[in-house]
Amino acid sequence: MMDAVYIIDDDPAVRDSLALMISQEGLIVEAFERAEDFLNFVPQHCRGCAIVDIYMPTMDGMALQESLLERQVTLPIIFLTGHGEIPMSVRAIKAGAVDFLTKPITRERLMSSIRTALMLSEKVYDQAMKAETTRHRLDDLTEREREVMSLAILGQSNKEIARHLGISHRTVEIHKAKIMHKTGATNLLELARLAQEGGIVP
Amino acid sequence: MIRRLDHLSFHALFNIAADALLLVDAEGKILVSNPSAQAFLGYSPEEMQHMCVEQLIPERLRDRHVHYRQHYLAKPEKRTMGQGADLLALARDGRELPVDIGLSPIMVEGERYVLITFIDALERRRAQAALRESEERLRLAKRAAGLGVFDRDLLRDTVTLDARAREILGLEEDAVVTPEQLMAQVHPEDDALRRSALKQAMNPHGTGEYYLEYRNSQSSAPERWVAASGQVFFEDDEPVRIVGTLQDITERKAMKQAFRDHQADIDAALKRQAASQTASAMAHELNQPLAALSAYSEVALHELEKTACSDQLKRALQGCIEQSHRAGRTLHELLEYLHEGEPGLEAIDLNVLVRETLTLARAEGLIQFNSVLEPYLHLPLVQGNRLQLQKVIANLIRNGLEAMRDAGVENPTITIRTSQKGNKAMVTVQDSGPGFHPDTATRIFEPFFTTKSRGMGMGLSISRALVEAGGGLLWADPEAGPGATFHFTLPLAS
Repeated sequence: MMDAVYIIDDDPAVRDSLALMISQEGLIVEAFERAEDFLNFVPQHCRGCAIVDIYMPTMDGMALQESLLERQVTLPIIFLTGHGEIPMSVRAIKAGAVDFLTKPITRERLMSSIRTALMLSEKVYDQAMKAETTRHRLDDLTEREREVMSLAILGQSNKEIARHLGISHRTVEIHKAKIMHKTGATNLLELARLAQEGGIVP
Repeated sequence: MIRRLDHLSFHALFNIAADALLLVDAEGKILVSNPSAQAFLGYSPEEMQHMCVEQLIPERLRDRHVHYRQHYLAKPEKRTMGQGADLLALARDGRELPVDIGLSPIMVEGERYVLITFIDALERRRAQAALRESEERLRLAKRAAGLGVFDRDLLRDTVTLDARAREILGLEEDAVVTPEQLMAQVHPEDDALRRSALKQAMNPHGTGEYYLEYRNSQSSAPERWVAASGQVFFEDDEPVRIVGTLQDITERKAMKQAFRDHQADIDAALKRQAASQTASAMAHELNQPLAALSAYSEVALHELEKTACSDQLKRALQGCIEQSHRAGRTLHELLEYLHEGEPGLEAIDLNVLVRETLTLARAEGLIQFNSVLEPYLHLPLVQGNRLQLQKVIANLIRNGLEAMRDAGVENPTITIRTSQKGNKAMVTVQDSGPGFHPDTATRIFEPFFTTKSRGMGMGLSISRALVEAGGGLLWADPEAGPGATFHFTLPLAS
């Protein structure tokens, strides 16, 4: 998937000029007039960044940031504003915004922000994808395999697990082999990490 | 013969007199009584004869009466009726009758007699009691209202003032006062008003009513506001007298002035804020095309740099970019300056603010109304600007009052509720008027929309702008009737 830069600004000239400028850098640009339209469009996981105007009539930039956080959309945000209000910028940055830029903006300043945002996005996206894959792998486990796994990562021996679940020592060994195969984990430590990423917490 | 005639005429007069008459001797024995006396006391002439006067007096007073009688006979003199204490006569049936008594000593052939005249005093005493009561009531009313009384004789050019009037005007209790002196105490700026009020009242074809509020300035006392209210009396179309009351209205005036000052302060502050907010909005609007200009220029320059183009063109575009940023900086400075003038935000107790605003609305006196306050007592402080919020609440109350007044609603009532909705505080203002149609519920916020005959219809749109500038929402709720209902929210402080 290609990185995309999303511009959300109610002013058509601002949208158009910034879109031109960013596309000159070889990036894919999509522009939205309203925050609501962008919310309807954006998937939970995607690579890229959003350039968001703070002041918009119906849903403003801060509200959009809130909604994105609620939906666990991990896209980094660069805010644009007419004039920098320190308390608001502090709030935006605390909520995870990459930058808070004042219009008019130079190409240099904007592109440097975008590059930072894209790098962040790549990292966040990779992490998210990894977690997703892990979740998928863990989804393949049977109920019994999950039980065995949650006891194993607690540090219980095969004997203890067998006694705990009322099954034979041999069956535990078979389950464990299947778990390692399905998850692709090579040792217990890796398995524990996967379990944590995938939301199986003992 | 003369004596006989005298004797006859005495008897004739004695018998036909409307007043009750008794002739008693020095011992207090009744020698004769006339029919009026007999009828009044309920005795026959025979019974009456030889009775002792003390028998005609309630028993408990008899001893004292004997003492009085002897005292009187020692130094007899004519005593007219109605003098002295309230006297009582005892009728045959035991009733005690209030009487007025007159005494006339008579000497006949060296013997001392007393002619006793008495009349029923019941009516007179009742009238007297009624008069006393009404005087007392008047005195109390005057005292309660703090009214002083003046009485000016226009023919003799004199004026009489009671103690309270003197107190109000800062005059000595027993100083002689002339009308000129009182007029000299009227503040020069109020004198023209006084003249015209007096002229109007003295017009024999008018009502004769006199009313004036003026400042009484007197060197020895602080200046007081006085309301003089009186009535001119005419004789043959000639004003002869003005009688009326004086009231010290200094405090009332001061309160009114304070209220007006407060209103003026609010209006001035809001005007400044509105101007600053308008300028700020315009600066924002200008900044947008500037941002686009600068970006477009950079785009163009970037494109040109790919090809071999003239240096002039590059310089021109470079200039466009630089000048856009220069203009941008100026705008930012302007915004910063305007920002300083923007209303400060403070933590506000909405329940207190609502109560204060209701008091102000009452003082404004548009109409008399009931108010129901339903505060949410655990409401946290909100963040906002006190003046603006007060204006918003006052606007909503005034809208309700005007709607109820125009619809002639009985028992007009304003209900104000506070509540908490998540991280916002909510205020609900509801009237008991006719409410509004759901279709108008959205339109009422448009500037210049009004259902009233007067006004610009700006109140609600300004209120909404003020609430939204503070991070809240203001909306009408046509479902919540009866009556018009408005809600607005505000962010909590913290």
